[in-house]
Amino acid sequence: MTARNAILARLKGPKPIASEAASLLDAPERPAVDASALEAEFLARLALPSVNASHDRIASLADLPAAIARYLTDQQEPLTLCCPPDPRLTACDWSAFTLHADAAPDEGATLAIARRGVAETGSLIFETSPIAPMLPNFLTLHHIVLLAIRDISPHLEDAPPPGPQPRAHYWITGVSGTTDIEGTYVRGAHGPRFLHVILLQE
Amino acid sequence: MSGFTDRADAALADPILKIAVERTTGTAEAKRAIAVDAFPDFEAARTRAAAIKDHVIAHLGAYLEQFEASAIASGAQVHWAQTADEACRIVIDICKAAGARTVARSKSMLGEEIGLPHALEEAGIVRVETDLAEHIIQLADERPSHIIWPAMHKTREQVSALFRAKHANPHEEETIAAMAQSARRELRGAMLGADVGISGANFLIADSGAVCTVTNEGNAELSLVPPRVHIVTAGIEKIVPSMPHAIHMLRMLARSATGAALTQYTTFYTGPKRAGDRDGPEQMHIVLVDNGRTKMREEGLAEMLRCIRCGACMNHCVVFRQIGGHAYGGTYPGPMGAVLTPALDGLAPNRDLAHACTLNGKCQEVCPVKIPLPTLLKGWREKSWREGLEPTSMRWGLGFWAWVARRPALYRLGTAVAIRAIRLIGRKGWIDSLPLASGWTKHRDLPKPAARSFMAQYQQEQRK
Repeated sequence: MTARNAILARLKGPKPIASEAASLLDAPERPAVDASALEAEFLARLALPSVNASHDRIASLADLPAAIARYLTDQQEPLTLCCPPDPRLTACDWSAFTLHADAAPDEGATLAIARRGVAETGSLIFETSPIAPMLPNFLTLHHIVLLAIRDISPHLEDAPPPGPQPRAHYWITGVSGTTDIEGTYVRGAHGPRFLHVILLQE
Repeated sequence: MSGFTDRADAALADPILKIAVERTTGTAEAKRAIAVDAFPDFEAARTRAAAIKDHVIAHLGAYLEQFEASAIASGAQVHWAQTADEACRIVIDICKAAGARTVARSKSMLGEEIGLPHALEEAGIVRVETDLAEHIIQLADERPSHIIWPAMHKTREQVSALFRAKHANPHEEETIAAMAQSARRELRGAMLGADVGISGANFLIADSGAVCTVTNEGNAELSLVPPRVHIVTAGIEKIVPSMPHAIHMLRMLARSATGAALTQYTTFYTGPKRAGDRDGPEQMHIVLVDNGRTKMREEGLAEMLRCIRCGACMNHCVVFRQIGGHAYGGTYPGPMGAVLTPALDGLAPNRDLAHACTLNGKCQEVCPVKIPLPTLLKGWREKSWREGLEPTSMRWGLGFWAWVARRPALYRLGTAVAIRAIRLIGRKGWIDSLPLASGWTKHRDLPKPAARSFMAQYQQEQRK
């Protein structure tokens, strides 16, 4: 008998009833979020010490390069950016920047577009696709994320994409941190040390 | 003298260990309390989390089959292992087939449980531990002492000395931040150069075939995205029916483990790289590991399969906080370890673990899935008694006590004499050594008995 059959033979039992599994999620306990003030709720979580992100605001996508230049200049970083091959970004004027698509092992700054923001936790939600690589978002020192304000949702249940799942679906809630030495919090463990969210108002 | 007693003695004699364990568990306890207070009705959420796990355990076979079908549909390959050895063999075979020389590992307690680090070493495959704490203990050639903070037993001074001795470009400043940067420099190249990435799973999502990992460091993603092959080793109890079920469990896990609302990085991997993707592994393998879990489900330990490995039970355990994790001897320390280790490694060599418990119930109070840990530990005590594993002195002592206890007049006479005798030994309200109980008084004092016993006071009240 194969290991599979041997294990399953010992686990014989009734088929789960879908309605029973669903009923376990009736009115789940979760942090309250004011649905009429999602942006404020999201920003409040983003500012928590555990999330540790800064933010800026732009009126339209055309303002994105200037907002990134402002941030990188403040951080005394060069205007060099790892930029995903996302057609939404091609309309912007990037003439002040040196852009590249693949992240270097010691990448300085990376831009990503979040599909969604979650007010409950201040999380930024991403999926992999041909126009959205994953690795640059983890290699970079400064992670710069564009998020449309209309894409902020109240709860984590709003995060998963509908339908078939992408190769990777991931939630980023702050910068890379560790408490592995004496429980003391240090930011920038392996991944980004800085997270900067640019909110798009249009 | 058993192994546990020796190890506990050594731990109690180590003053640095006590400081290191207290620093981390103390912080974890305080942060969890704040997070739980801020959460609306954490008690009801615990009940729900337990119900979700119980539902899965009752229908485990069907959910595993559903997970397998979903994972295969996503392009992943699913393997099954009944034992630890079988699981290691599957992983090594995949590594060999991929021509792997180096693997990057993202911390997984299941990997530790099945002895994967050792198996990789035997196969001549270079292993790079990428979690900071696992990196520390790999350099020190030690084992994890906690399931969330595997290097909890190390002080900053010890970590500093280790990095200075082993890192190519160690920290200059004597701060924890500088030490973390030293590890970042050391590990980044190794992660990007690995042929295979190996992780555990925090949750397996039955309806989508997704594998969920959580980290605060981002080391899982850096270990699992660049290599050509991603191997997941997961216990069969890690299943949840769907994403919303996983979300409830994630809310419980982060708060119980570290007091955070969520870990910094929560990732759901569904199959290998897709057409046009710019990164991701070409192959994804998922090894579903039994290693005693079906037996636990059959033999009265089904509730233990609820465990989501948050570590809250050990952070709140008065015994763990005195002796740290290594004294427990198994992969899993603390109260959950004391229940799991006899199931995984046999009761006879581990019968002491169930006794290393005051039954104060704190572990059960903080458990996010309400595992009745004290009850399960008492179950092991009873089994140890039934199987004749308790030492002769214990069997005779308890037998004598039981005989006397069934004779109330004799029992009262005996206790009256004993109390008077003990009172003579006590000094300043405390007893620091007691004949026949030196094992107890060596590391702690007993309060001196009250002037009059409860029964004496009760009888006096009745006479009024």
